[in-house]
Amino acid sequence: MRRSLFALVLGLCAAAQALGEVYQTPAAFVAEVLGTVPAPRVLWLTREVQAGAAAILDHPPANLRQRYWSDGAKSVWILEEIGKEELMTAGFVISQGRIDHVRMLAYRESRGQEVRDPSFLKQFAGAGLDKADRLDRGIDGISGATLSVHAMERMARLALYFERRSRE
Amino acid sequence: MPFRLRLARTLRRWHARIGFAALIFFVLIAVTGVALNHGAALGLDSRHVHAEWLAHWYGIRQEQPKQAYRTASHLLVAANGRWLLDGSPTGEKMPHPLGLVEIGDLLVVGGESSLHVYRADGALVDRLDGYALPGVPLKAIGAGEDELVVQTPAGPFSSADVLSWRPGAPKIVAWSMPTPLAASDREAYARRLAPGISLQRILLDLHSGRFLGRVGPLFFDLVAIFLTILALSGAWMFLAPRLRR
Repeated sequence: MRRSLFALVLGLCAAAQALGEVYQTPAAFVAEVLGTVPAPRVLWLTREVQAGAAAILDHPPANLRQRYWSDGAKSVWILEEIGKEELMTAGFVISQGRIDHVRMLAYRESRGQEVRDPSFLKQFAGAGLDKADRLDRGIDGISGATLSVHAMERMARLALYFERRSRE
Repeated sequence: MPFRLRLARTLRRWHARIGFAALIFFVLIAVTGVALNHGAALGLDSRHVHAEWLAHWYGIRQEQPKQAYRTASHLLVAANGRWLLDGSPTGEKMPHPLGLVEIGDLLVVGGESSLHVYRADGALVDRLDGYALPGVPLKAIGAGEDELVVQTPAGPFSSADVLSWRPGAPKIVAWSMPTPLAASDREAYARRLAPGISLQRILLDLHSGRFLGRVGPLFFDLVAIFLTILALSGAWMFLAPRLRR
């Protein structure tokens, strides 16, 4: 019995390690925002969109198509970016060209978990893009999580940029 | 000759000898240290060095590819967490492939828990995992009536755009199956699919001396002692004449 329990605990630890810190699945986030999980829509990254995305990310985008979900009024974008060494996954809800709210769905770095705090994420609410595709407001950094904060800013800009391109 | 003069000469001579002997290691420590300091900006962690001798040096067991997945015009060979799609490497830490399927202009490589979608020229179109799949683990992938079909524990699902799924499968499905590689091909592919070691890890090991194995850190401790001696002897040679004045 003890051995079984020990094996179960070990198994759960290993599974948690493999998954990283997953706080919410993308499907659950989409369902929470839109009430259901509609069929995903696709933004194809043409050369022009790729160039715009690369300018925001400082590296070429990983994929040539970006999935998103929309009910007409709001759209949900699930994006991934490396903070320091590991991918973080964040969900962005955009309405009328501005960020409605942001949620960290998975954070896999060993440090800098503060970027998932609502007090940090609420800074993005209401943010839009200026003419240079930068956020039209400043985001306060977090000591010890500078790279993750920068990655969140890049993802927020990218979500707004993709949303704008999806409407064109 | 006065003792002070003899001491100064001896010190100067040994300062030069130690400096010259340790020159390569000082340069190595300095260069790797600067690179590691800017590791994130240089993307050191995402760059990998592939060489059989390096993998052997690190004690990484190399897997030789034994089989390949083929479509009418494409070929996938995998080993050591790497894929060669039509002869081009596609990335690092890739899952073990279940199959290769061609759907229209798209090429799909299936793993147990992911689908990688490529254009015919090898550009990655999309990567689907978790919530984007109809179920995991995937057991097989195939093609039928211009649709991708995946076999899951809940049964087969089909998709024409590798985006949205419907339960079920066309009547005839050509499941992707591996074909064996010739012995000569195995060796050639093994060389091209040598395991990758991140540049960050190599530089870190060079910087700390661990690249040389167990004795490496001890040797670099010695180099650090030399550096301390150089700093102290240099400071003494600089300050002693000024203090005497």
